Amino acid sequence: MKPGTPADALSLSEGRSRTRTGTRPPKGLRSAGFLMSLIPVVTFFLIWEAVSRANGLFHWFNPLFLPAPTAILLDGWALAQKGLIIQSVVASTLRITVGFLTGCSAAVLCGILMSRSRTVETWLGPIFNMLGPIPALALLPIFIIWFGIGEFPKILLIAWTTFIPVLAYTLDGFKSVPPTLIRSALSLGASGRHIFTRVMLPSALPNIFVGANVSLGLSFSSLIVSEMMGAKSGLGYIIVDARNYFKMSNMFVAIVLIGLEFSLFAFLLKILEKRLLVWRTNGVRTAVDTGKE
Amino acid sequence: MSLVVAGVGKSYGGRVVLKDVSFQVGPHEFVCILGHSGCGKSTLLNLIAGFIQPDQGEILVDGVPVRGPDKSRGVVFQDHALFPWYTVLQNVEFGPSVRGLPKGEVRAQAFRYLRMVGLEAYADDYPHQLSGGMKQRIGIARALANEPDILLMDEPFGALDILTREMMQRELLRIWLELKTMVLFVTHSIGEAVYLADKILVLKNGRLAAEYLLDEPRPRSAAHPRLLELRADIERLLLEEEDPGEGGNLVHETRDSGRRVVPF
Ligand SMILES: Nc1ncnc2c1ncn2[C@@H]1O[C@H](COP(=O)(O)OP(=O)(O)OP(=O)(O)O)[C@@H](O)[C@H]1O
Ligand SMILES: [Mg+2]
Repeated sequence: MKPGTPADALSLSEGRSRTRTGTRPPKGLRSAGFLMSLIPVVTFFLIWEAVSRANGLFHWFNPLFLPAPTAILLDGWALAQKGLIIQSVVASTLRITVGFLTGCSAAVLCGILMSRSRTVETWLGPIFNMLGPIPALALLPIFIIWFGIGEFPKILLIAWTTFIPVLAYTLDGFKSVPPTLIRSALSLGASGRHIFTRVMLPSALPNIFVGANVSLGLSFSSLIVSEMMGAKSGLGYIIVDARNYFKMSNMFVAIVLIGLEFSLFAFLLKILEKRLLVWRTNGVRTAVDTGKE
Repeated sequence: MSLVVAGVGKSYGGRVVLKDVSFQVGPHEFVCILGHSGCGKSTLLNLIAGFIQPDQGEILVDGVPVRGPDKSRGVVFQDHALFPWYTVLQNVEFGPSVRGLPKGEVRAQAFRYLRMVGLEAYADDYPHQLSGGMKQRIGIARALANEPDILLMDEPFGALDILTREMMQRELLRIWLELKTMVLFVTHSIGEAVYLADKILVLKNGRLAAEYLLDEPRPRSAAHPRLLELRADIERLLLEEEDPGEGGNLVHETRDSGRRVVPF
């Protein structure tokens, strides 16, 4: 998950800076920054390769423990030839997509209901407060006993892991709508429904995305763990299977794929966020009040 | 269109913010509410807007008591309160569109008022791309696009520099002379009140301390002797009996709340 995280943090803070005169660095500069960030990563792999090869020569430790990046690539290629990689990636992608989307939609829906109806909030609030802090992974064995080892318990676990943070952020978003915005909408003749769809929801949307970003990492953990326990496919399954046969390089292949898959999802989420929150990014034109135009 | 504020009082947790405030405003009148910070100006405006309810007394618009916010009373906020997720145009369209006007009409209405504040070129910008003065003008256009009978403005130019402020005052007068809606304008600048108002209400410690009527023709010059005299008079009124150390929130029970009506 390494590639996703630092880039995320960076673009998040960029989107939030609301300085009126703040402009983004020009495109050239930004790609230069991207190249700069590549250098440490490349160095990391070069050192790894060097250590691995040196170990092959000098036998500091069992060479099986740390295969070289090139060896991992070759093994990955071999696995891909057998069709195992495609099959695992598809299985994992389906699970995380269905689970994550279900969890997010359920959380937003629940947040809407809880913020619209006092009764719903007084009943559901304490229950979620009680269940929320339980680490979701602790529930997996129970889910497996209840629902077997099919797809359902895995997706349920992913959805539940996604649900709790998104719900918390959604509720927080609805609570922190600036009151003057609601007042101004009211004095413009907005009805309760308008207040909700045109003020509360757009105002809470950035928060909902923070929740989704937070839970993406958690739901990936749930995906992998649920595939390690009682699955016959998926990236997590490659890892346990490789452990059973002590095929270290296969483990590394799976780990790299998980990292790539996470980055892809984080990237898609970012794109969606940029699309929906256009108003948060600083515009190119910085307006100055020059009096009558 | 008439506004009657009759014996209005409001307290927050035992602290009296407004006490026995009464006045009337006729149609097309431009009223400035003047007073120190914390004397209850915003509270009074929020009561008239219907955001809060009075503890005592009544506020009547055309004889009907105010029960809540309504599109007939447009509000311009000190912090502009534009919707950051809408473009300038969408902000101005908000009122007409929630009223359910047909799309074409909504757009036409919005552009009409954007043009009135001179910002139609910025229709597709987002509020954060605008300067403070421009945001304030959009706030005014947004309130006007609903064609309210009463325009309530809470220190709309308070955050602007002096030059922008003067330009905005001129522009507001131009718009008001064109539309002739009733305007209630909160300010703590005596100069601003004297420049704009038909009637100045001076609030002091939650009470209406004085009411001045001005029929000086517009545009007014700040150097006019009668206006200078009026400014000095209001200044004296606001400065006198300023108990040091008192937060300015407590109402002087002893002070005579008699009002001076000074017709010009
Ligand atoms: N919701 C509230 N709860 C408690 N006290 C309040 C509330 N709103 C206003 N007050 C108090 O009422 C008094 C008057 O507030 P108000 O905002 O009306 O002042 P103002 O005349 O508009 O001042 P300014 O010029 O600084 O805006 C203040 O002392 C304030 O603390
Ligand atoms: Mg105020």
